[in-house]
This record gives sequence, structure tokens and C-alpha cells, in this order.
Amino acid sequence: MPTRHLIIGGGTAGMNAMRTIREEEREPSEITLVSAERPYSRMVLPYYLDRSVAESHVFTATAIQLAQWKVKALVGRRAAGLDPKASVCTLDDGTTVEYDDCLIATGSSPVRAPVPGADGRAVHSFWTLDDARAVIDEITPGCQVVMVGAGFISFTILNSILSLGAKLTIVEVAPRILPRMVDATGAELVEGWLKAHGVTLRTGARLTRIEDAKGRKRLKFAAGGDLVADVVIMATGIKTNLDWLKGSGVVVDKAVVVDERLRSNVPNVYAAGDSAQGKDLISGQGAVHAIEPTAQEHGRIAGANMAGKSIAYRGSLIINIVEVCHLDVASFGAWDDGKAEGLGGLKKDRNAYRTLMFTGDRLTGAIIIGRSNDVWTTNDVGMLKGLVQAGTPLGRFKEHLRKNPFDVKTAFIASKTTRALLPETVLGRPSMAPGDSPVAV
Amino acid sequence: MKVLKLTPERCTGCLRCEIACSYMQTATYQPAKSVIRVSPFEGHTSYAPYTCTQCAEGWCMTACPVGAITINVAGAKDVVDDKCVGCKLCTIACPYGTMFYDTGTRKAFKCNLCSGEPACAQACPTAAIEYADVATADWLGDFAAERVSHVLAVNGGR
Repeated sequence: MPTRHLIIGGGTAGMNAMRTIREEEREPSEITLVSAERPYSRMVLPYYLDRSVAESHVFTATAIQLAQWKVKALVGRRAAGLDPKASVCTLDDGTTVEYDDCLIATGSSPVRAPVPGADGRAVHSFWTLDDARAVIDEITPGCQVVMVGAGFISFTILNSILSLGAKLTIVEVAPRILPRMVDATGAELVEGWLKAHGVTLRTGARLTRIEDAKGRKRLKFAAGGDLVADVVIMATGIKTNLDWLKGSGVVVDKAVVVDERLRSNVPNVYAAGDSAQGKDLISGQGAVHAIEPTAQEHGRIAGANMAGKSIAYRGSLIINIVEVCHLDVASFGAWDDGKAEGLGGLKKDRNAYRTLMFTGDRLTGAIIIGRSNDVWTTNDVGMLKGLVQAGTPLGRFKEHLRKNPFDVKTAFIASKTTRALLPETVLGRPSMAPGDSPVAV
Repeated sequence: MKVLKLTPERCTGCLRCEIACSYMQTATYQPAKSVIRVSPFEGHTSYAPYTCTQCAEGWCMTACPVGAITINVAGAKDVVDDKCVGCKLCTIACPYGTMFYDTGTRKAFKCNLCSGEPACAQACPTAAIEYADVATADWLGDFAAERVSHVLAVNGGR
């Protein structure tokens, strides 16, 4: 009898797992997908919002493609409970699915600031395709948009909102913007840049209430100073969707605790992406990295192991990059490690900033900010990631970087980091192109 | 598979590769749009070209959330413009720093080996860049380590 794989969640982790199962399996297996939404990429939503791509561009699989990949897709269904002893998953309509192994990849949901009016008319999260559709319908040229939360998610749609001709105000409860992505110096640079590009910022502002005001919205704050808006977007954090696992016996800490093969405490139950608390490349400890690249790598590792391979994961690296008004803002790894030695430089006149975090002579994290049309910003972003990923002992090049934090290339090439990186692959073999794989993600 | 074999000792720093590359990739004679980059070493007394290794993992390709990076007829990782939305994930995923982003088109671009006839290799007058059927490698590491050591020794890493 063919192996019965159950994939719970049709996001990035689930799609990558299905694709890798089809790439790696020696005999055809049965794959069942349970997905609350038709599979699409959240990464594309900002470009759908600014109308640079059609809605069809966001989908990662059509019903016909899923059928071609021999995936039994239960779209519109959610998992409601798991019985690992019986290897049965119960869905929200009461039906059950038996499996030989399953992948928990149910992602995260947005959390709104707990204030009166947060769930009212013209107040949106920006997380799902439905959210994007609602926001698109309401933003018109000249309208006033207020975003609550100055983190990664709101920054990914900042350009889109401006390009639709809206006026934008961002409010943040923390004393500065991007508190979980860059340090205070970096935040100050980005704040100045955004103000110069017409974005209004209000930091250290605690929202207390959102009211209806003659067809518009009025936002009230603890320190006073009301704001009036036509559209309010809440980007105030996310939480993992794992409540349905309660009582199942699958061990959940911040997410499902998994080993190097993305396996939970139950040997035939895997977890990936936002649902998994897996190994952090830098610390070696368990961590939840709710970002696209971790979901991709988790999905591929889990898929390979479900297909019968034994592939251990080196660990995930936090990497974030966002462009706002042609300024690139990126950070990686342990950029906020208080015990690391930070070297860096600020070129205020060029709006360029770097902090390189060293543990001994190894780079363990970095922040890099610079203009998008500066070729070296883009290339250095990659090379810094390479130095962190390879864990290159930099030796004498550490001193070089201390004096020349903007000359990453010399240290990267001369430390022979390319040589260290070239043999490295996630699955122990060359990757297949989207078109060459049975499942094109 | 044929790759760009780089011999930095032969590079004169003439930048013809950058001119040829930018013309092939973006139809402009503009080194800033080239995906092969010549860097100076040892205080501008020696030079070396640097570009995508076409690595086995293809970090750019596996990172792309829309499947916009594929493998072309030459075996090179290649960006499909119609699919690329410009999210920049590939630029941070590539650990070699060889992804590029065009602020005009809002698309990523990279070395695609000109689909099998690389303009840089054809333009190079000293065969510092050759298109050869060899395994990809760290072409610059030893050269750079040696050249940089002079500078670091003389003035402590100016």
C-alpha cells in the first residue's frame, strides 16, 4: 500500500514539503492537503496591493496543478484535532483523514491591538489574500491611511500604499520603529528617510480606542492627539495557529518542538515553518523563525524525511529585507546579541549604515541599510549573509572590517568563504528548478 | 556544464567584461548594470572579476516565493522577468552576493551565462574569463588572500 502523507496547511512550508516528497520518493505515495485557503504566496500580496501584478499571480498552485501532482486537496477545510495514537486528523467539518505521517504547517495569524474598535469597519490586518482584497477596495488616491505597528509587515506594504496615492501615518507603541529588525541607530536613519519621503511617524504612541467619525475613523491615544483616517491597518504582531493541537500529546512550546529532521515528539508527526520551533543556525537552540526562507527550508527538509530520506537540517538563519522608498533595510542572525562585539559605521550623508556583530572572529549577525540603487548595498547584503551562514573564521579580516565596514567584498573573497559555501546544499544534492520538479512552487 | 572560469592573475582591470555584460543584460553600456564585477586589489595594482558561481543549491532559486528563478538551457540560474515581483528575497538569500536588483524595472537580475554565449568571456582580451566545461570553484580566494596580505601587512588594513 502506498504511504499516505497528510500535509496540513497549503502555505510555503506545506507546498515545499509536497514538492520535495514528489522529488525524493522512490515509489508514488498518496498526498492529502488540508488547506483553509487556496495556496498562494503572502510574499506577493504587497505587489498585488499596488496593482503591479494581477490577482492570479499570487497563487502557487491551481486546482488542475494539484490534480496533476496527484495531491488530494481539501481546500476550505481546517484541521480541528489530531489523534497521534490512531494517526487520524479530524477536520472542522467533522470528517477524518488517516495518515502514515503528517506535517503540521498551519502558519500564523495576525493579532490586533486589544483596544475597543479594533475589529470595526475599515480596520484591517494585512495577512491574507482576503485582507489584501479588502484593503485594495478601500484605498483611494488622497485618502488617509494609518498603520498601527512599525514592524516588518507594515514596512512591506508601505511602498504600495504610497504608490496608490494615499497619505500615510505610521504609529508605533515602542519608542522607535522596527524594534525587532534593526538597532536604534538604524531606526533613526530609516525614520529620517521616511519623513523626508512624506510618511508621518508617531513613535511611543499607545493606541487606546478606534471610533467611527462621520464615515471616517478616529484613533485615540493615551497621550492624546487624535488621528483621523479613512483606512486603518493593524500590523501589531502574529501568533502561531496551534490551538487545534491542544490535548493531542504533540509537544508545543512557542511552536511544535522539532528535532533536526523536523520531527516532533511523535515520530510520524512533523512540523515546519511558523508551526515549528527548530534549530537556530547561530545559537543551536530551538527558535521560531516566522519568515519565508525558514518555511521553505523546513518544508523541504520535512518533505525529504517524509519521503524516506534521512536529512538533518543545519538550522535556520533569521534574515529580513525590506525596501522603503528606495532604501534597503536588512538584518540577519544575532544582530541584537548583547554579548557580541559590534563593529560598524554610519554614513549619514549617504544614508548608509552597517553593524557587524562578531563572536570572536566569526560574524554572527549584521544590520545593513543603504540606498537600493547602490549596487554595493545589494551585493553586500548577500555576502554578509554568506559570512554568517558559513561561520567563516575571519582572523585578520576582522580588523580590516573594523576599519572598513563598507568593504565587505575583500574580506568575503580573501577569507575563501566561497570555497566553504560551494559544497553546501540543503538536501544534499543540487536543487531542481521549479519547472523540472513535479510540483512547481 | 560549462561555467565561467576565472583566472584573476590574467585580469588587467580593463572592464570590457562589465561593458559587454551590461549591454547583453540590460541593453545599456553601463558598468553599474553589469552582473560581473571587477574589483581592485592591492591598492589598484591588480584586479579580479567576480560573478555568480551557478552553485548547486541555487539559494536564489529555492528562496524565490513565486518560482521566478529557474535553470536555463545553459544550466544557469535565470530570472524570469514576468514572474519576478521584486521582493528581494533572492538578494538576501544568495550567500555570494551575486544577485542584483534594478530599481527601474523593480526586478532582480543575475548572471544567466547569456544562455550559453557569455558576452564577458567573449569580450575579455586576456582570457581571464573563459567559458569552460569545468566544475565551478572558488576562483578568487587564493589570489585575493595573497594580494590582500601585502596591503594588510604594509599599512595594517587601510
